[in-house]
Amino acid sequence: MSQDNLVNRELMSALSDGQLRGDELASAFASLAKSDQALSTWHVYHLVGDVLRAGDLGDVRGDMAFVSRLRAQLTLPVGTRSSDEPVPLDEFRTNSHILSRQSANDASTRWKVLAGFASMVAVAVVGWHLASGEAGLGLDARLAAVSAGGATATASKAQAGAAGTIEPAVMLRDARLDELLAAHKQFGGTSALQMPAGFLRNATFENPAR
Amino acid sequence: MIYRARSRFLALAVAAFAPWVSAQTNVAPAVPPVIETRHSELGISDWLLRMHEASRKRAYIGTFVVSSGSNMSSARIWHVCDGDLQMERVESLSGAPRSTFRRNEQVITFLPESKTALSETRESLGLFPDLLKAADSSIEQFYGAKQTGSERVAGFDADVVVLQPKDGLRFGYRVWSEKRSGLVVKLQTLDVDGSVVEQAAFSELQLDAPVSMGKLTRMMANTEGYRVEKPELVKTTAVAEGWTMKSPVAGFKSMSCYKRPVSAPDGANPESTMQWIFSDGLASVSLFVEAFDRRRHVHEGSMTMGATNTMTRRLTDKTGDWWLTVVGEVPRNTMIAFSQGLERRK
Repeated sequence: MSQDNLVNRELMSALSDGQLRGDELASAFASLAKSDQALSTWHVYHLVGDVLRAGDLGDVRGDMAFVSRLRAQLTLPVGTRSSDEPVPLDEFRTNSHILSRQSANDASTRWKVLAGFASMVAVAVVGWHLASGEAGLGLDARLAAVSAGGATATASKAQAGAAGTIEPAVMLRDARLDELLAAHKQFGGTSALQMPAGFLRNATFENPAR
Repeated sequence: MIYRARSRFLALAVAAFAPWVSAQTNVAPAVPPVIETRHSELGISDWLLRMHEASRKRAYIGTFVVSSGSNMSSARIWHVCDGDLQMERVESLSGAPRSTFRRNEQVITFLPESKTALSETRESLGLFPDLLKAADSSIEQFYGAKQTGSERVAGFDADVVVLQPKDGLRFGYRVWSEKRSGLVVKLQTLDVDGSVVEQAAFSELQLDAPVSMGKLTRMMANTEGYRVEKPELVKTTAVAEGWTMKSPVAGFKSMSCYKRPVSAPDGANPESTMQWIFSDGLASVSLFVEAFDRRRHVHEGSMTMGATNTMTRRLTDKTGDWWLTVVGEVPRNTMIAFSQGLERRK
């Protein structure tokens, strides 16, 4: 394979991946316009991408089995095919009944019950455990203060799990706290588990929308 | 007819791909032999090193899921390495679109909606395994490791290892480490009573996948159309900022200290916030200290989000009032210990 050819192939590969910008992009288009080989390479790389992305496309064994089953069924006289067997209606009813039932351990469901008065937005499991020194301040007063401060506030009763004690709790988030949380995630992750999993965890996890 | 056409496509694809795959062999090294160590004899440092080395030596593609409280996030992960060079691409599949690229300590996050790219250097990423090898490593003093069994995660057989804290000041971890490579395929953070507060796992994983470092490098460098932002950080020390820990929290050592500008909504406050970072090797805690502002600092309290706790306190001293925010993956009692241990020196 000549050097030019190799370069051309790499260019087409990058083009297929949408990686080219500016001059490189222009030169790739120019190659496509003047060379059938470039066009064919580009086509092949797209195909490779499609096949790699969709495992089903590459694996035809399942399809073949299905086709042979279908053929076998089609040769049978009407009335003896497996698809002709009646399906009892009760089966459908049972299934739909199961599907419509909520999971007992669905956190969001339980949360809605706990939250009671809280808006549906408060599904996020974020509990604001009140500091003891703040006990004198009413819930409404705190919420009003936060709203007045321009921050987003959502409130709900929550269970404080710290030492197994139940404390009154209200959920409070503001932009500043989010900023500090982000700063901690970026520079505070001095953990031995950071490299295998912590970095991925932080890059993957998005704080719940407020 | 369509099957014949598909088969032809596949043959074509394989033929076109073969030279490329062979060119990648330096990237995806041959599968190392299964380590025949009796895993039950491994100590916590052995386990951590094994898990760390696995992430440094293998190329993989997978889908990573993080569940914290009732929130769930997922992302597509590409990881590749070549000698000391590590590259990663994390493409968020939930929430706002985000692409994070890492090249060793260099991290850039593309936010396509705001056309912003955040570029950072995360020094902490390079600290391990030196952190563990250091003579004064406290990990073994405060955590023990115990293999509790084997389970299958994302199609791979994995050793289940519990990293058990030896006191109530830190969370425990249950780690699923892939048997052949040691790669962490699942991680749970456990409360002091053993309940799961957060977990992260690969739902699907392809080990030794053909990931192209060249392609990741090109994507990471392509900031065209994006406004690149760098955090304004100044390295400092707690002493220089006038702070000390009069009663240190057992096992937690000071790791680093930074100053960052406060972004007050009205832009009226040019003061900076100090971020003082502590770690016991597995968990970390940040202490953020800024001048007290009556308008903004109204709510003393604490908050829990999965494994992450936060706590805010007003500190009063003869020299003035301060606002402390503690953030960390530690139990609430530990946060309180930190807030009580901090003292103004000048």
